[in-house]
Amino acid sequence: MDRMTREHGRVLVLGEREGKEIASITFELLGVGRKLAGDLNGTLCAAISGNQITDVSKEIAHFADEVYPLDHPLLASFHADLYTIAFEQLCRNVNPDIVLMGHTLDNLSLAPRLAYKMGAQVITDCIDLAIEPGTGHLLCTKPVYGAKIVSIFKLEKKPYMATLRPKAVEPVGPGSVRGKVIHFDPIVDESAIKVELIEIIKEESVSLDKAEAIVAGGRGIKNTEGVNQLKELINALRRYFSTVELGASRPLVDAGLVPSSRQVGLTGEKVAPELYIAVGISGSLQHLTGMSGSKTIIAINTNPKAYIFEVADYGVIGSYEEVVPAFKRKLEDL
Amino acid sequence: MKQLHILVYIKQVPDTEGPPDAFKVNQEAKRVVPVGIPPVINPFDESALEGAMRIKDRHGAKVTVISMGEKLAQPVLRKALAAGSDDLILLEDPLFKDLDSNSTAYVLSSIIRKVEPYDIILTGRQAGDWDFGVTGLLMAEMLQIPCINLVRKVEIRDNGRVRVEKLSHNRCEVVEAPMPVLITASSELGELRYTSIRALKAVGMKPLKIYNAEDLGLDLRKLKVRQIVKLFTPYNRRQCRFIEGESSQEKGENLAVSLKKEGVI
Repeated sequence: MDRMTREHGRVLVLGEREGKEIASITFELLGVGRKLAGDLNGTLCAAISGNQITDVSKEIAHFADEVYPLDHPLLASFHADLYTIAFEQLCRNVNPDIVLMGHTLDNLSLAPRLAYKMGAQVITDCIDLAIEPGTGHLLCTKPVYGAKIVSIFKLEKKPYMATLRPKAVEPVGPGSVRGKVIHFDPIVDESAIKVELIEIIKEESVSLDKAEAIVAGGRGIKNTEGVNQLKELINALRRYFSTVELGASRPLVDAGLVPSSRQVGLTGEKVAPELYIAVGISGSLQHLTGMSGSKTIIAINTNPKAYIFEVADYGVIGSYEEVVPAFKRKLEDL
Repeated sequence: MKQLHILVYIKQVPDTEGPPDAFKVNQEAKRVVPVGIPPVINPFDESALEGAMRIKDRHGAKVTVISMGEKLAQPVLRKALAAGSDDLILLEDPLFKDLDSNSTAYVLSSIIRKVEPYDIILTGRQAGDWDFGVTGLLMAEMLQIPCINLVRKVEIRDNGRVRVEKLSHNRCEVVEAPMPVLITASSELGELRYTSIRALKAVGMKPLKIYNAEDLGLDLRKLKVRQIVKLFTPYNRRQCRFIEGESSQEKGENLAVSLKKEGVI
């Protein structure tokens, strides 16, 4: 489409799947995308990639004005080399003013490369996006310096590109749009693959972001026995919450006591459960970034000056080795 | 196989483990000013350097470390030499102040001509100051080489390819790529090996190569500063209620009682 003949802006959301389901970040992107498209008096477009994704595409059309399925056997699962090429082709076709994607592990490899190919800048890990009144530029709010400071960056050259932090914004409301599904055939072939997949090492599959309650351990947890105490507390909490998961801050993951799929923080999962119990976690901003949106936060720590107490609703000063078993027993008895 | 040449890009950042109130905002200059916080090598870049050292241990390699800034703290960066790298190159110029990611990647790639040939570029997945996580990948695009992001383990194969383990959602992917290749390190790769005071002293006088924008033959029109509208401190503090009790055990029990009473559980 010729940019000159167009009056209004186009916002393109690059959606994600988890298998045959639409990933929750997609709905958050559609929420922000709808707001921005409204401000521009423009069109909300969404893309989804995969193999045989007709159903998913139709569902997204309830939320977006135009849906572009990138349906191709080579796009069945994420591959940075191939996805970069496919999405570049789509961007050149749709000619968006704004491109939004989730700040997910996969997209960390995609976003900068796509931006480079489009001659654009990308602002990553945004928690809010807005159109600057008057200029129409994109304002991208992003935590920096390990979340000690928040910065609003301005993008002045189109296409504006940003990645959105999961759980940072409300998902889009009920789908009432009747968008068009528009066929788009990306031209990809195996010769584009520079990095070859040899093997997949399955890690324990966890959905931390869907848990109702999370018990997380940090540097204060010294050994496997400590982790087991947290697991017993998790069992006790299952009386009260349907899904309770074990989480961890980075030191516990780097110490090899908990797999990295359970890491909460800037470089791990972003979660916002009903209840978050931080045990032996000092509250580095790296960690707080991943959980400060939780509804209720409990901190258990021996150090009364630990920063985690600044962001907690309930604090217990004491050794987890004594507090946690007593807490667990009482939960079972109540 | 000929000797490998590994380039490791490291960034000097304020120690972000420092207390939150040590980071002040200079609204006028749109800069974050660390107060009383020493500069350090970005921890993810230290992991990248450790990755390079492990390859050197195993296969032998020349490791060249490169850092860029408007004003660099040499004693901090010399730690890279103490850890076992062979050369330290500084790209230093007042023009390198507050550059955006694309310009940074442009400057960083411009040194390549002076250090070629190379086999592997290693750098951290992101820097602890602006947390963008894009510079390494942008460099790979500019250099038109394969890139592998978020890596926790690197091996060199006999056939001259790299085999790495990279993080992905709920899984880890083992992938291979030809060299030259750019790899970004995640913290899971491991912390940088211990560097003794003695080793630091030993490299204290080693001459460094320093280049400015002119030496690098940069097109200055390509140097753009990041556009910041506003910086502010997040207000996410909560009123914490401390649970009382005679002993830690009693506090644990009282916590459960309070949560029940107040409808949290």
